[in-house]
Amino acid sequence: MDPVIETKGLTHVYIDADNNQVTALGGIEMQIEPGEFVAIIGANGSGKSTLARHFNALLLPTEGNVRVHGLDTLEEDNLWKIRQNTGMVFQNPDNQIVAAVVEEDVAFGPENIGVPAEELKQRVEDALRAVDMLEYREHAPHLLSGGQKQRVAIAGTLALGSDCIVLDEPTAMLDPKGRKEILNTMRKLNKEQHITVVYITHFMTEAMQADRVIVMSEGKIAFQGTPKEVFSRVDELETLGLEAPLAAKFAFELRKSGAKIPDGIITNEELADALSSR
Amino acid sequence: MSMKLEHVSYTYMPGTPYEKEALKDISLEINKGEFVAVIGHTGSGKSTLVQNLNGLLHPTKGTASLDGVDLAGKTKEAKQARGRIGMVFQYPEHQLFAETVYEDVAFGPKNLGLGQEEVDARVKDAMKFVGLDFETYAQRSPFSLSGGQMRRAAIAGVVAMNPDYLILDEPSAGLDPGSRNAVFAEIMALYKKRGIAIIMVTHSMEEAAKYAKRMLVINKGQIVFDGKPGEIFLKEKKRLLEVGMDVPEVYKLAEALRAKGLRLPNDITDAKLLLAEVKRRKGLK
Repeated sequence: MDPVIETKGLTHVYIDADNNQVTALGGIEMQIEPGEFVAIIGANGSGKSTLARHFNALLLPTEGNVRVHGLDTLEEDNLWKIRQNTGMVFQNPDNQIVAAVVEEDVAFGPENIGVPAEELKQRVEDALRAVDMLEYREHAPHLLSGGQKQRVAIAGTLALGSDCIVLDEPTAMLDPKGRKEILNTMRKLNKEQHITVVYITHFMTEAMQADRVIVMSEGKIAFQGTPKEVFSRVDELETLGLEAPLAAKFAFELRKSGAKIPDGIITNEELADALSSR
Repeated sequence: MSMKLEHVSYTYMPGTPYEKEALKDISLEINKGEFVAVIGHTGSGKSTLVQNLNGLLHPTKGTASLDGVDLAGKTKEAKQARGRIGMVFQYPEHQLFAETVYEDVAFGPKNLGLGQEEVDARVKDAMKFVGLDFETYAQRSPFSLSGGQMRRAAIAGVVAMNPDYLILDEPSAGLDPGSRNAVFAEIMALYKKRGIAIIMVTHSMEEAAKYAKRMLVINKGQIVFDGKPGEIFLKEKKRLLEVGMDVPEVYKLAEALRAKGLRLPNDITDAKLLLAEVKRRKGLK
């Protein structure tokens, strides 16, 4: 199967407020396969958000190209199709709500592309059920919690027919319960509906749940791999302004003190197992 | 010296169908020199609480005061008292507006009517505090800075007002771990050097545990817990989860280790202590 998203030599250059040329992305080569759950981590200014905006043609390459479902983002005729296929959810839940009732908010996208009334109703219902918000269909969005608002935003992309959702720090403004809601929702959509997920986050505990973690630094991919591979590189992560999960840091420190602890320990349970079997 | 809430209730849009009681009969005293974390889920009332503390909102019932001066007053004293409380809002970088970092940081002190020399000194001091080199950044546009730098520039603008009480609303939201640590290193330096009070609203249990000496847990407009973070996290995990909060990772790791039979003391609240204890149990150096 073709990759959902493929970038070749993707370079993005912009002019900043002091009139300097800034290279935000320098030749990114990447593929995201159908049904993958990919987390992207990196320090502020490493290019994560810029990259995400290329995935549904909100930004266009200065050099190189981006293909979404095989469609080149530089071709204007492809834009509508690309933006239906790839939904985006941003950081601030309050900036993404357009209607005064939850179901109208979810219906906004599909209505605009001319989905007929009967199908529209079905799509909205399915989408709200998928994010576990159906009972709130007639509520006012501004009275919902942060986690609920973000789930409504996710439902909006589903109702539009997106099979790939790109989330740019969707939990940065949420409380612990809201953070869990969003991560669990995306894992469920990924498992049950095979939605491809690109999940940008500063929370390493969230990135640990992905199939693959991509680490960005200064507009390039620094390294990538399974969560086990990436989060075992405790030192390198710290150099990049990131942080390994606590269990990985403990494993790293204990190894330095001479403990024989297997590689690839990143969760509390794995560490507990490793320590109890000695 | 202290800020005080006495039987404070706050109702949004009273007398309308949208009436909502956000705070219910809260009494609270925060002394100068305290570092207080305020946690609670979205809509619990924490933002309403801190806005009553700094006089942006005035209580519907009860009084908010600073050293005995009612913050709702219209007197010169009340105005001065409100001026001693600084507030850094969520995503303060969105409030940067001037053409240069210097102008942005100088805006507050200039409005206090200070002379040019004093303004200059305050800007230099504040920029130094937040780790922005004056020579490098003063004449640059704030919009050309990185996310972490922009946040520090915005915090500098509040620091330049020399507040006795500083309220921070989620100072680390959206920052990477490295920038988070940098921002907190500056906040702690400010706290220690100037002996001011810091009141920090946060969704991060890790930060509440690491930096605050006192923690308020807010739920449905009331204070559920008021005490040392370590004690609350150790004793009240169940209740914290019920109100949408959590415990820091180190408590979870300690629990996982105990579940596998590792004998650990019951009062571990710190990762360094936990690591030392694990090493000791396993006979490591």
